[in-house]
Amino acid sequence: MTRFVESTITFPYKRSLGPLVGAFMTALTERRILGVRHGDQVLVPPMEWDPATGAELAHDLVEVGPAGTVESWTWVPSPSAQHPLRHAFAFALIRLDGATTPLLHAVDAGSPSSLDVGTRVAPRWRGSRVGRIDDIVCFVPGEAPEVEGEDAGPAEEPVTRMDYLASITYTNPVPPATDRAVAATLERRLVGLGCPHCGRVYAGGRGHCPIDAVELGPDCEVELPQTGTVTNFSIVTPVQYPGQTETEPFVRAFVLLDGTDVVLPYSPVVDLPADQVRVGQRVEAVWAASADEGEQGGMGGAWGALAGWRPTGEPDVDDPDLVNRIF
Amino acid sequence: MSRRPCAVVGVGQTHHKSRRLDVSFGGLVREAVFRALDDAHMTMADIEAVVLGKAPDLFEGVMKPELYLSDALGAVGKPMFRVHTAGSVGGTTAIVAASHVEVGKHRTVLAVAFEKQSEGNAQFALGSGRGASLGAGGAFAPFIRAYIQRSGAPEHIGWKVAVKDRRNALKNPYAHLQIEDISIEKVKASPMMWEPIRFLESCPSSDGACAVVLTDEAGGLAAAADGRPPAWVLGASSRSEPPSFPGRDPVRPAAAVQCAADVYAQAGITDPRRQIDTAELYVPFSWYEPIWLEAFGLADEGEGWRLVDDGTTELGGTLPINPSGGVLSTNPIGASGLLRFAEAANQVRGAAGEHQVDGAKLAIGMAYGANNQYFSTWAVGSSPDPLR
Repeated sequence: MTRFVESTITFPYKRSLGPLVGAFMTALTERRILGVRHGDQVLVPPMEWDPATGAELAHDLVEVGPAGTVESWTWVPSPSAQHPLRHAFAFALIRLDGATTPLLHAVDAGSPSSLDVGTRVAPRWRGSRVGRIDDIVCFVPGEAPEVEGEDAGPAEEPVTRMDYLASITYTNPVPPATDRAVAATLERRLVGLGCPHCGRVYAGGRGHCPIDAVELGPDCEVELPQTGTVTNFSIVTPVQYPGQTETEPFVRAFVLLDGTDVVLPYSPVVDLPADQVRVGQRVEAVWAASADEGEQGGMGGAWGALAGWRPTGEPDVDDPDLVNRIF
Repeated sequence: MSRRPCAVVGVGQTHHKSRRLDVSFGGLVREAVFRALDDAHMTMADIEAVVLGKAPDLFEGVMKPELYLSDALGAVGKPMFRVHTAGSVGGTTAIVAASHVEVGKHRTVLAVAFEKQSEGNAQFALGSGRGASLGAGGAFAPFIRAYIQRSGAPEHIGWKVAVKDRRNALKNPYAHLQIEDISIEKVKASPMMWEPIRFLESCPSSDGACAVVLTDEAGGLAAAADGRPPAWVLGASSRSEPPSFPGRDPVRPAAAVQCAADVYAQAGITDPRRQIDTAELYVPFSWYEPIWLEAFGLADEGEGWRLVDDGTTELGGTLPINPSGGVLSTNPIGASGLLRFAEAANQVRGAAGEHQVDGAKLAIGMAYGANNQYFSTWAVGSSPDPLR
């Protein structure tokens, strides 16, 4: 049975809105909704270009709504965490008064029976508005706009950027070769897979040979030594970003395992300060008790409980050409 | 395989900056697109298909940007393609666009590439959203250390490339970095980022876009007759290799050597060092200039650094490399490859402005990506057969 692991990637992106969407968002903080004139049409939200031809539009903005008419809708009986409302609601295409194109937004209608094509709706404004489409919490049946809570007023400066917190959760299969490699690390063993065609050996649970394009099964498993020589290295000065775990320069070493042709590239090191790493240095594997990534754990992923490589204190290998053994 | 002729008749790019907060995604790409269309004396209606390239979606957090940007690019109702080959993507985008013309599928195709790095964080994206990202410099530093060891190049070679490309950028009004007082001393004194790479030996992070209009033989001849010389695509190739395997040499990757050989064979180039007038090579860190000079056969193995040292690769030398200022001066990642291809085209069109290489008839544009794994290259000429 294939095992699956879940991982989530999150990042706070910042959108540059450009002249028209920026003006639209700024107006939202003022509880106004803008469209752009295009011939005898009014597009809402306003666009910089004709969506049909790509032709540039004059930036001729016009206020629309705030009330409008539902043109089409769909009921959302069980909202997810990413939906705009916590209880059942409708997504609707709403043609605001004065607009010729509909705006997609949520309608808090209570039940599907109170909504129909032609239903009149008006915005429920958020009290504290920042210049995002959800400054309008949702639309509600009727002609009268509402404000949720106390009105904090418009933005002090024109809105030019928008925060967008992206979060995506992936479910990835773990190949059997990776599972076997991780299990070996919990026994403090390093295993590789040898290609029956070219003889190359791959560590890190890679279950195929990229040269011969063949799968490498359990019968290809070979035991790898736990000592080696640093052939090359990288000292990374960490740039700070959301999710960065490093604050000080850190080392990634390339380790050629003894008596093999196997290099483990970009491997973490243990007890080896950045100013002391060098080509030819002798190192040995360091094992953690857990296969999980983290303070007490190993590298995680296919490397499992392998935590990195520590200097053995043996004399360096004197071979300047070692630096060319990168992969 | 027979190919129909393909000509570059329009080139456009944005002014590149760290943060183009004045424009939306659409506004950014359209700035380049309209410059290219104006250059080609065309409108969006003349374009039959659009090819879009950019770096991985994590850079800006917009999934399927080719769909998001379809209306901004005037592509509604037209074929729209996304190309994805890591850092080489801009070059591959031009090659995919050219191939549509070469097989006779479309008469006129628009190639567009962009990056808006200010919306996200490159280190985050390159690290697949995890901590301890190596960044490009951290990934490439070991390759550079190996090149220096095997070639015996002195350390000032890296500084020289850094200064040359920034001086070239001063002649390119679109270039991001405009460092008036750039000097060897200034590069030497800049902080060590990823030993042996110093800060000023590294590319910037840019917001920017590039667009190229490619058309068929009739279109190219019409532009020429109108006094607007096109660049003729003489050869194009994309090659790649796996990230790691015992015996892989990232300093002289087999994919790079094969990519060059393929392009030269298509273009009839037998002596690249002498027949090629100028090249736009993807050099995000200074040492990549001699590395690619060698892998692409513009210098003998181990000798690339000498062409840097003796001034051969300077604007005014016999083989100017990156007269535009290159990736070292401007790096909207996804667009950087297309910029190389576009700048090479402008050189043989005689349209490079202040950074024009006098009399350039044959130029190459090259891009690479990931761990020196993906390569895209084209050769362009001032005529369909500039070597005759």
